[in-house]
Amino acid sequence: MKSAREIIDSYDGRPLRIMEVCGTHTHEIFRLGIRRILPPGLKLISGPGCPVCVTPCGYIDEAVSLALEKNAVICTFGDLIRVPGSNMSLASARSRGAEIRTVYSPLDALELAQSDPDRQVVFLSVGFETTTPGSCLAVRKAAERGVKNFSILSANKTMPRAYEALKGSADAFLYPGHVSVMTGTALYERLCAEGVSGIVTGFTADEILTALAAVVELSRSGKPFFRNCYPRVVRPEGNPAAVRLMDQVMEPCDAEWRGLGMIPGSGLKFRDRFAPFDARVKFGISELRGRDNPACSCGRILRGECMPPDCPLFGKVCTPAHPAGACMVSGEGACSAFYQYGEKIDE
Amino acid sequence: MNERVTLAHGAGGQQTTELIDRVFKAHFSNPDFTADDAAVLTLDAGRLAFTTDGFIVSPCEFPGGNIGKLSICGTVNDLSCMGAKPLYMTCAFVIEEGFPMETLERIAAAMAATAKEAGVRIVAGDTKVAGRGQVDGVFITTTGIGRVMEKANLSGSRAKAGDAVIVSGDIGRHGCTILLARNEFGIEAPDVKSDCAPLWSTVEPILRAVPGIHVIRDATRGGVGTVLYEIAGQSRVGICLDAASVPVAPGVRGVCGMLGLEPLYLACEGRIVIFAPKESAPEIVKTLRSCPGSEDAAVIGEVTEEDPGKVVMLTEIGAKTLLPRPGGELLPRIC
Repeated sequence: MKSAREIIDSYDGRPLRIMEVCGTHTHEIFRLGIRRILPPGLKLISGPGCPVCVTPCGYIDEAVSLALEKNAVICTFGDLIRVPGSNMSLASARSRGAEIRTVYSPLDALELAQSDPDRQVVFLSVGFETTTPGSCLAVRKAAERGVKNFSILSANKTMPRAYEALKGSADAFLYPGHVSVMTGTALYERLCAEGVSGIVTGFTADEILTALAAVVELSRSGKPFFRNCYPRVVRPEGNPAAVRLMDQVMEPCDAEWRGLGMIPGSGLKFRDRFAPFDARVKFGISELRGRDNPACSCGRILRGECMPPDCPLFGKVCTPAHPAGACMVSGEGACSAFYQYGEKIDE
Repeated sequence: MNERVTLAHGAGGQQTTELIDRVFKAHFSNPDFTADDAAVLTLDAGRLAFTTDGFIVSPCEFPGGNIGKLSICGTVNDLSCMGAKPLYMTCAFVIEEGFPMETLERIAAAMAATAKEAGVRIVAGDTKVAGRGQVDGVFITTTGIGRVMEKANLSGSRAKAGDAVIVSGDIGRHGCTILLARNEFGIEAPDVKSDCAPLWSTVEPILRAVPGIHVIRDATRGGVGTVLYEIAGQSRVGICLDAASVPVAPGVRGVCGMLGLEPLYLACEGRIVIFAPKESAPEIVKTLRSCPGSEDAAVIGEVTEEDPGKVVMLTEIGAKTLLPRPGGELLPRIC
């Protein structure tokens, strides 16, 4: 039997574009140097699976305004802090006196609110089905405990509509292992019936190479396909308890994706009875429309239309130390990975 | 006992004397540690190495050590990496008002024990007390002087193409320990302890066993990855790192896997990276492995003419990629 590596190495069929949708996949693919060993016919492109990368500029503006104008304590995962907003990042807001704290869980933010009842604490909730249940749990606990000074600024997104928006961007998708743990695989079966091919896989070298070999093998028939190559972790039914929790606390809404624009039904907002924990309701702010750097190509990169080095800003004005676009900020963003792991070592 | 340090302990009066007598003199006592304004020392002729380092680690006590032990190791190891036998040290404390006396005693005791282990004498010191909130717990600065071994010629600028890159043991334990000791992640890993150790007893045997070692550097803040980039830059050479051969303890690997961290960037406090001609690598590794704490020493890469200033990594699938340059938010207050 041929190894995954042999199957990949010997591929000489029509050019295949394979989009990894998950930021962790992007990072691992670069860390392992997988792009460097692919034959010319196989091309990996990085899709919109890094929550930081698809968070629109206006969201950062909202958070900055809550911190500076409403004097709220902002709690966030670390990688949002340096994402540029229209005028400034949360890091620059912090240097102007805003209180911005890094937390590792929304529950840490809730605890902070309970320990300091005189301050308003806002947790910045971005991410997909993997991180959303944590925010929902924090809100449910805040409601149970009657906490009045805790709220969430949400930019949570769900993947199904994004896949539909990305139809045609690639010949096959590497579906995200962690998101699929929550959502299960029914969606992928449905997409397959609609002509979209993809593989669910994990994050080790063997798992990623196996998925690529599966794409190569299954593409031969010319028919759409779906395989779960991560069955020890991803079950077809997903995690119904987490899905129920999300459904109890949040409901679908339209959402803006940096680079992809508005995708109907791809976001989540709080249901009415949890509205007191919605920072937009609590502080009476309306969603802001931010202004991205017009020269930044993050949007086209996220749609697979160009590669990071094609962007005029890449490596010049836009570097991990001074990011102009979101894909350069997060360690899981395509531009950051390209820059750090070196597209070509001798460049 | 819940005695605490007060501002009076730093005011220079009777309480200061009491603090010094009870905590510092009691532990640091040696013939060169006097009540005079400065230690008067007689040194043999020859080259001296001289260095200083500040320590602000949080928390100040952690599995495998405390800020006191760290403050001796840090300076002893910097001297050792220049091929210098550590001889004398000074230490300056800035202590926060309200700091528990008992903890301070433990810190002083660890300093004394580590200095003894390293064969170095503490000959002078200073104590200041700052108001509550003006420092966090205790900050220590140590300065050390050592005699450079006659034939040692070590510098970060001396790495050459064809050198082997050797690490003296498993990496990333100190950084991982501090990360967990802050209790922000709810992860427990009882087998992860700081590697904090004085290294002259590791450096001296290899310098005696193998002449012609080019570079020795201790991997502290920024970890082994940072050292590799420093040497690649300072010596204008390329470094090819074989990722699979880098020793990492299973507990550290597990924690890094969970938190998405790269062990190559996590701080060590008892590890050195050695650059020496490839032919001498087996002897160096053998000598290291006979030193306590260095049993996992290994060759992790080699120096190349290509790609000067860069660290290229051979990944586990056999592809070559750049090791990302360390930067951004490395963990603060690690040492």
